[in-house]
Amino acid sequence: MAKDSTARKLSEAPLIEAVKRPGFGGGNPPPPPVRPTTPIGSNAWLAVLMFLGAEAMFFAGLIGAFLVFRLGSTIWPPPFQPRLPLGVTGVNTIILLASAVTMRFALRRTQHGNFKSSVFWLSLTASLGALFLLIQGYEWLQLIHFGLTVSSSVYGGLFYTIIGFHALHVFGALVWLAVVWAKARRRAFTKQNYVGLQVCSMYWIFVVALWPVLYGLVYLY
Amino acid sequence: MLRKNLLMALTVAAVLFNTHARVWACAVCLGGADDSTIEGYNASVLFLMSTPYLVLGSIVGALVFTYKRALKKRALAEAVEPGAQLVWNQEDSGR
Repeated sequence: MAKDSTARKLSEAPLIEAVKRPGFGGGNPPPPPVRPTTPIGSNAWLAVLMFLGAEAMFFAGLIGAFLVFRLGSTIWPPPFQPRLPLGVTGVNTIILLASAVTMRFALRRTQHGNFKSSVFWLSLTASLGALFLLIQGYEWLQLIHFGLTVSSSVYGGLFYTIIGFHALHVFGALVWLAVVWAKARRRAFTKQNYVGLQVCSMYWIFVVALWPVLYGLVYLY
Repeated sequence: MLRKNLLMALTVAAVLFNTHARVWACAVCLGGADDSTIEGYNASVLFLMSTPYLVLGSIVGALVFTYKRALKKRALAEAVEPGAQLVWNQEDSGR
């Protein structure tokens, strides 16, 4: 008999810990609270981050080419080639840097729910960007007039390629900004959802941050 | 077939390693060691070598910064919400 009872005890299913110790007030224990698991950034944010990495590599290639020719030449700029206008471009640099500040203001205003002010700062950013392009266009016309063209020398070729690609990027960013501005005017962004504006701001700030590097390298070095 | 390929590979290796260095093709042999063009190429190569690290470092830095900021935000939100402390979880209810 004793053997039987022992065998019965062993064959019984072990009691689950939770069943052995019932919850407060009896019954099933309440489900565990759901912790908010919101992602740290949106997919668009991550995609733009990767895209900016690719863009940085593209410009690194251009800078690498510039370094080969710049350090390979003993006289720079080459003889009979016009000098680049440092003063006007310096002012233009300040204009573009200011546009990054206004872009940041626009983003902050949206985050705080001040949409009217955000639209104003976006307009100012777009205006500064457009002004930068206009000044650069004028500067290019002057340089072409003085004989600096893409085919005039390696100097001209490098200048128009590097600065031209940057201008193209500013133009692209300006088109994107115009779309974002139109959306902001229609109140498409909210305090919680402003991803469109955020990624546009990232791209704009990348384009602005790139400019001082190119200015220092192509104009001053 | 295998024997023929092996023989060919050995022949190519023998030719490559026994030929004088002067006949090796060099894409950037543009002048002497102190030539400014070589200096330009070297600077460019070093710059391009370091760029991927800079880019990847920046991306990782941005991710770490955003993650830390999100943690801080969450901690602030939990501190503001006193009711969150009273929520029972499975472990507490079992005691």
